[in-house]
Amino acid sequence: MGDALSMRFPGGPVPARAGIGLRSVHHAEVVEYRPPVGWVEVHTENYFHDGGPHLRALERVREHYPLSLHGVGLGLGSIEPLDRDHLARVRRAIERFEPALVSEHACWGHSGGEHFNDLLPLPYTDEAVEHLASRVRQVQDHLGRQILIENLSSYFAYTASSLPEWEFLTAVVERSGCGLLLDVNNVYVNSVNLGLDAARFIAGVPAAAVQEIHLAGHRRNRVAGRDLLIDDHGSAVCDDVWKLYQQAIARLGPVPTLIEWDTDVPSLDVLVAEACKADGYLEIVRDLAA
Amino acid sequence: MISRPEGTTLAELQGRFAAALRASDDEADAAAARFAEHVDGDGLAPAARIEVYRNNVLAMFEGALARTYPVLRRRVGDGYFRGLARAYRDAHPSRSGDLHWVGRSFPAWLASYLAGGEYAWLADLARLEWGCEEAQVAGQAAPLEPAALAKVVPDELGDARLVLQASVRLIESAYPVWSVWRENQPDAPGAPVDFSIGPQRVVVACGESGLVLHSVPEDHFRFVAALASGATLGTAVDESGVAIDHLPALLRWLFSAGLVTAVAVAGSGERRHEEIA
Repeated sequence: MGDALSMRFPGGPVPARAGIGLRSVHHAEVVEYRPPVGWVEVHTENYFHDGGPHLRALERVREHYPLSLHGVGLGLGSIEPLDRDHLARVRRAIERFEPALVSEHACWGHSGGEHFNDLLPLPYTDEAVEHLASRVRQVQDHLGRQILIENLSSYFAYTASSLPEWEFLTAVVERSGCGLLLDVNNVYVNSVNLGLDAARFIAGVPAAAVQEIHLAGHRRNRVAGRDLLIDDHGSAVCDDVWKLYQQAIARLGPVPTLIEWDTDVPSLDVLVAEACKADGYLEIVRDLAA
Repeated sequence: MISRPEGTTLAELQGRFAAALRASDDEADAAAARFAEHVDGDGLAPAARIEVYRNNVLAMFEGALARTYPVLRRRVGDGYFRGLARAYRDAHPSRSGDLHWVGRSFPAWLASYLAGGEYAWLADLARLEWGCEEAQVAGQAAPLEPAALAKVVPDELGDARLVLQASVRLIESAYPVWSVWRENQPDAPGAPVDFSIGPQRVVVACGESGLVLHSVPEDHFRFVAALASGATLGTAVDESGVAIDHLPALLRWLFSAGLVTAVAVAGSGERRHEEIA
């Protein structure tokens, strides 16, 4: 794959437009039809390998679209050391695909040598701020670039938490110099699951640090007579999340916005239609600012 | 107001949460109870909230295994496959943040799990599917044109080595696993396979057009296996017992299938097509 490593793709930032999460079922269609989306995002781990059809497909997509690499497996906030091999593969993917944005999650994921392959929540404490910030610095030093960290969907709050989630994230940003990936669906999910104040969250995040927004669908489960939302990225963005999104960009201005859809992946036109909807809201914010 | 356990470190919290996540069904309630004091129930039992994560973790593991072993899953059915996935996870929990590797030990584990039973052959099917998985993520070089071989001096041909695609995987089974694999593709009828067919040997590779599985005769399989282990053409012929008059057709197939990336002549190192030309 020596050729791929010396390849040069179009540079430039991810535009303040809507993009789509790219899944392998849509590779060929995206290359052939070039849908009118501003950029694409992929899960970094899906492109960790030496070669194969998926890597080549992403190289072809990358020739036409700015790219964001979104990691789901590093488990930044784990107490156990980061997996050096995993981190090296992230760096190799960055060298190979030249993404405009690189992101990870404000989570932990492994303990006792076992990886849970899920985005596990951290308590919002001073100790966790220091730990996560030091890990973010370690990763940024290794990669030689800034990363964004994303707020999670959670199914419980820790009794140990002493900070609201947005203050926790703000403190990590201040101590590490990272940016934020604001997942508006996750804010909404947490407002239902944990009673989080979504409006205060949106008002409280450090605006200058937010470089990307995620929008996705969730599943509504009924547990012991109350709703518990599961962040499954398996459906269209719901009306409440669109409303919260409008509040977010009214405050933050036009920010690159991704439509995530990872399970029960729909046809490409459905994804593109969701992206067009986000583009419509971004356009309104741009007009108001003009 | 739930009392806040003072002085619990982040390390302790993660350790207790982890214990709840890796608990088996029988142990789940007790493990959740030990972590529950750290969970703000907010109107729900902490155990119900912890269970969401336990289910997610299990679903991620099972989903990854199902993506790697679709044929085996189709053959045994969802319910049985889920049971296998759980038993396998108990023995081989995920050791990587990259779920792709979750299924690496599955064929060997399955072989011992099913040893001696009626379904022992499923372990060979798993071996074939893991071979497919590896082939699809291997690096790939441009296939060499057959003309390259014609440029080797005939006297040196026996000492020449063929470099095969990095994606080539060789799977030999006492059972007709290639037939089972073919019959259980998404667009195949899933017809029962006649096991009296006996052993099958499969060469797996992944090229520009995707994954290809070749079911080959035993002597051809041994020939490719010898080449893959670095043997010269002469040694590969000797070791495999390929009849010399079958060799031209066998070589034509190797090249036309895109499996050869370079020809190396003894003493001169690896020679690519361009260099030979």
